[in-house]
Amino acid sequence: MSELNQAGNSKKHMGLKAKQRLSNSLVYVMLVIISIVWLIPFVCIVLQSFRMESTGRVGYVIPQVWGLGNYTRLLETNFPRWYLNTLIIALVVAILQTIIVLCMSYTLSRFRFKIRKGLMQFMLILGMFPGILGMIILYRVLDDLGLTGLHAVPGLILVSVASSGMGYYVSKGFFDTIPKSLDEAARVDGANRMQVLNKIILPLSKPIVIYTVLTGFMGPWADFVFARYISQLKPLGMNVAVGLQSWLATDTMVHDNYTLFCAGGVVVALPVAILFMCLQKYYVEGVTGGAVKG
Amino acid sequence: MKKIMALVLSLVMILSLAACGSGSTSTSADGGNNSTKAPATTPAATQSALAGTYKILVWTGEDAVELTKKQIEDFNKSNEYGITFEAEVNPVSEKEAADHMLIDINAGADLYCFAQDQFARLVQSNALNALGAQAAETVKAANDPVVVAAGMSGETLYAYPMTSDNGYFMYYDKSVIPDADVDSLEKLIADCEAANKYFAFELNTSAWYLASFFFGTGCVSEWTTGDDGEFISVNDTFDSEKGLIAAKGLKKLVDSPMHLSSSSADEFNNGAAIVVTGTWAFDAIKDILGDNLGATDLPSFEVDGQSYHLGSFNGCKLMGVKPQGQDTVKQAALHRLAQYLTDEARQIERFEALSWGPANLNAQKLDAVTANPGLAALLKQNVYSVPQGQIHGSWWDIAKVIADDVKAATDEAGLKKALTNYSSKISSLFTMTSDEKEAWSVIGMFNSTDGFFFTDYKDEKRSNWAEDLPMVADGEKFRTADAWEIPAGCEFKVRQGKSWDVSFPAENFKVETAGTYFIVFDPATNEITLTAK
Amino acid sequence: MAPTFLFQEHLKGRSMKKYTELEYLRLSKGKKFLYRLLSSLASIPEKLWNGIKGIGRFFAKFFLGIVHSFANLGKTFVNGDWKTKLSYFIMGFGNISRGQVLRGLLFLLFEVVFIFYMVWPQGGLYWLKMLPSLGLQGPEKGYDEILDQHILIPHDNSFRILLYGVLTIFFIVAFVYTWRANIRQNEIAEKILASGKKLKSGKQDLHSLVDDNFHKTLLALPLTGIIVFTVMPIIFMVLVAFTNYDAQHNGYTNALFSWVGLEEFRTIFSWDVGGVNYAATFGEILTWTLIWAFFATFTNYFLGIFVAMMINKKGIKIKKLWRTILVLTIAIPQFISLLYVSKMFDKNGIVNGALQSLGLTTSAIDFWGTPSLARIMVIVINIWIGIPYVMLIATGILMNIPADLYESARIDGASGWKQFTKITLPYMLFITGPYLLTSFTSNMNNFNVIYLLTGGGPTNAAASGAAGAVGHTDLLITWLFKITTQNEPKYGLASVIGILVFLVVAIISLVVYSRLPSVKNEEDFQ
Repeated sequence: MSELNQAGNSKKHMGLKAKQRLSNSLVYVMLVIISIVWLIPFVCIVLQSFRMESTGRVGYVIPQVWGLGNYTRLLETNFPRWYLNTLIIALVVAILQTIIVLCMSYTLSRFRFKIRKGLMQFMLILGMFPGILGMIILYRVLDDLGLTGLHAVPGLILVSVASSGMGYYVSKGFFDTIPKSLDEAARVDGANRMQVLNKIILPLSKPIVIYTVLTGFMGPWADFVFARYISQLKPLGMNVAVGLQSWLATDTMVHDNYTLFCAGGVVVALPVAILFMCLQKYYVEGVTGGAVKG
Repeated sequence: MKKIMALVLSLVMILSLAACGSGSTSTSADGGNNSTKAPATTPAATQSALAGTYKILVWTGEDAVELTKKQIEDFNKSNEYGITFEAEVNPVSEKEAADHMLIDINAGADLYCFAQDQFARLVQSNALNALGAQAAETVKAANDPVVVAAGMSGETLYAYPMTSDNGYFMYYDKSVIPDADVDSLEKLIADCEAANKYFAFELNTSAWYLASFFFGTGCVSEWTTGDDGEFISVNDTFDSEKGLIAAKGLKKLVDSPMHLSSSSADEFNNGAAIVVTGTWAFDAIKDILGDNLGATDLPSFEVDGQSYHLGSFNGCKLMGVKPQGQDTVKQAALHRLAQYLTDEARQIERFEALSWGPANLNAQKLDAVTANPGLAALLKQNVYSVPQGQIHGSWWDIAKVIADDVKAATDEAGLKKALTNYSSKISSLFTMTSDEKEAWSVIGMFNSTDGFFFTDYKDEKRSNWAEDLPMVADGEKFRTADAWEIPAGCEFKVRQGKSWDVSFPAENFKVETAGTYFIVFDPATNEITLTAK
Repeated sequence: MAPTFLFQEHLKGRSMKKYTELEYLRLSKGKKFLYRLLSSLASIPEKLWNGIKGIGRFFAKFFLGIVHSFANLGKTFVNGDWKTKLSYFIMGFGNISRGQVLRGLLFLLFEVVFIFYMVWPQGGLYWLKMLPSLGLQGPEKGYDEILDQHILIPHDNSFRILLYGVLTIFFIVAFVYTWRANIRQNEIAEKILASGKKLKSGKQDLHSLVDDNFHKTLLALPLTGIIVFTVMPIIFMVLVAFTNYDAQHNGYTNALFSWVGLEEFRTIFSWDVGGVNYAATFGEILTWTLIWAFFATFTNYFLGIFVAMMINKKGIKIKKLWRTILVLTIAIPQFISLLYVSKMFDKNGIVNGALQSLGLTTSAIDFWGTPSLARIMVIVINIWIGIPYVMLIATGILMNIPADLYESARIDGASGWKQFTKITLPYMLFITGPYLLTSFTSNMNNFNVIYLLTGGGPTNAAASGAAGAVGHTDLLITWLFKITTQNEPKYGLASVIGILVFLVVAIISLVVYSRLPSVKNEEDFQ
């Protein structure tokens, strides 16, 4: 919108065009610099993963001998199992978390019931406690339920899903922007509350659904402190983050596994990054729609 | 058969415990943990009682996983007791075994290897089951006394010696460092600065390496522990004239722009010419440096014209058995396995496969062991090393900040301050604050036969004069925080600063009639009263 | 959409307490700012007091409500018929006898489960009974002569007692609430029947769950999850702060832990415990935490907006590519990227290597070894992680700013900078106020960045010791993590710090949140 206006203006003042060109090239230069800074670490990690001449940490970036050896070596380790574990967690969490977050945020956005305000304040306060201490106790609860060690996958799913209702803010903000008159019109037509949600609201909420699925899917790939507790260091119960970090436990292991770690990192980052890029548009819509109301 | 035997055994044991519990009213909570008992001869009948199949979890360093699996298989085939272990062997580095063990002892390994510095913590948490009298004798006789000492707290041996190579020395790149310079820290620093190469010595993040300078000037940090792993006293002389000399030497290195706080073999790939680390890094460094690898003892540094050779810790790796609670048969079987895995032949096997220096006296004398270049350098350094012994868990955290403090110091006063700061924290591990000295507490025997609802319980904390129960201020007087149910006939005293020096009344206070009371003490009159709730 | 200048209006309106509007307008720019700053600072105590009063009122109301409802229960018992009276003892009896079988059976089932749980040998009553003492019998040591070995038999488990004790209390509260609901229903049913109307059938009950009571259906699952996996751990954590749970009292295998009252709170406010000045250490770490949170939030915020504006600038092509490059930092797990970045800035890392080979520095810069430099570095590297989020949010919002605002500004001859400060920034601040607040508080608890980059280092000698090896870049959250994972963990103390972190965050939120313009009018948008 504003771009159109600016275009209209610049026709009137020809001098402005040259000025604009100058400032645009300045912006390009800055964007290129920023992009380089942003990409360097990732490019380095990718390059390390192709290094074949040694396995440790080295002082140079570009490999002397290139090869896919590190990637094929990954298959001989527990990595595929970790990857599968994480993938299962990520998928299930993404689905269940979305359902829970939507239930929560839709209710808080649309219904006016007695404890609503109190509930929102209560959850705001809950969110202020540092969660890290809760780990010890959650560990014990899961341990008593038998969801640790080799059964860490359902345990991790349970914990992430159970507390996900707290993260309703963004999607509630989004629902708030959908006019209430739509619901009321449907109610007048005889639809019950559930039908209103299914037929009217959800079709309008694609961005926020995708946003929630995406955040739910991305979280489990990076979980390493709690997942480590839960795995009880059983190799088959680990997720990728814990597993990859276990390769760097001692200096000797760093020497043997560093390039392997980088290859693993690339394989982990790839699907998440690609998915994120494809769905970026929805992510932006979801987060902006929600951030208006926070 | 096994189950019946187990039943009989546990019955005997429970009876003996019961006898213990009812008989003793002494002030120590010693129980039956008494290693001065004569070793019982194991009758043949009990040997076969161990027969059976056991599922166990084992933790060992990643490189030793395969070997340990094989050795357990060997044990299964060869043992005379009819024991079969179905072992799950997971890689957990010896460095962090205790961290994981103490998160949840129940989920921890039944048998695990750990580096010596974690010993005190493990004993304190009862994560190690002490060796039986007979096993202890055998192990003590076969292994290096320094390593055996590392597994002992008070008079009790808690763990099996596995290696004695947990020390550090210096690796250097021969193409950068002339062999003539390896004896002098100053020359080494100059060489590194001239060649723009790093001198890697993990001083800023590890007290284990940092202690090198202080041991070099003759400082000590010796700790004494009791039978239960509790620390009794410390003799620490880091904050002294000698300590100041060490700090000056330390400052020379940490001030150098080419000093790097790391002990990783990979630093040779990243511009280092010297790395101070241990035998475990040998293969990796050989990999990087090839024929340029040099390994020798640590250098000397010079302060005020006098030369001091850097010292080091001489540590080891141990193997421990987790207490198995009621499952005493499994526990006994585990001890048999641990003993097997740390005997002479197994230690030699480990040396051959992984170059881990043995703790066994016979194995240490093997030609192959003495000729191993890494171990040779370690042996050379061992002359200047200090047996690690038992060290308080907090020491590692307190001491590791010295290097950053010394680096920040600008003059001698700054160095002194760094050491005073250190020593005040060490001494406060044992001294009480003035508040604690003045605090009043109740200690005594409050065994109840009639519980809160319906049970007959034995109160560990309030029984056997085992623990001080704090009193809270109540105006001018002091009283227990809660009202307790106190049965008739209970006895107690009130004392100050958890010491018998100030305690009232002179004879124990006897409770005449049962009831729920606050115990109230008036320091003005030294009078004790029971106030019903 | 919202009126653009409401943000400034709002600020003005707030500070009109002393000056009248005219007087205020006459002030110089600097004075206006100062006045606004002072008046907002001056209102903090009042805010706090109001907050405390609010909490007080809440509890007063809550307890009065309980007293009131129990008084009512008595009346109902006296006035109700025999079915109602029996329902006091057999839950759901009234419902069943009046034809509401489904409801009644559910009530009855709940009661049966509850009673079974409570009287089970290791059930509710047992845990409740043990809760005041946190266990009576510690581990026993013995010697097994036959197998020649030491034995250790743990008995009570303080941790488990605390955990299940808390769970049991939760369960009892839930039971009492249900019991009361059961009686209320009888009361209502009696009235309805007396007035000659019909009661709802089970089918109607189910139907209302997707209609009038749809919110209950929707909230049931999320709230159960939150209560068990968020509220319960928090309550547990708060309770641990009143115990001596630490390495020497692990509650099971070495010694039981017990209630010590405010002992651990005293420690944290003491000047000298174990050679450590806890109060000063806490103050020092808190100060750095606030500084960090401030810079981490605002550098990201302004640079993020700046980058978004650059990408959105007219005439800039391949916008999607620029955005995609930036958001890579979100997509790639931090334990990979931050770990690598941390190594890059090592003394012998590639950054120093590059600087030296370019001739910019002669000797390596010790990024992580120098306190002030390490602090600057974590803030700078955090920009790398944080900008993309702000950039994404800003992108969407910038596109929503009505174009005619810029148009009229341009006609008035406003420069680009003026347009930014008068239109873009107020608009952004208005809309993203809550986001800024939450990002400030979550930065205070930003565990990952500090833990993965520096691990808290370089060490801070004065603060270290019994409190763990505290470092110059440690935040409160990493400090309390260290206290629970150091060689001699002190869980009680860590919990106290956790509570203090909560208080700090809560105070900041309380003061700021209600001042945010976009919070005040929740209903305006719909």
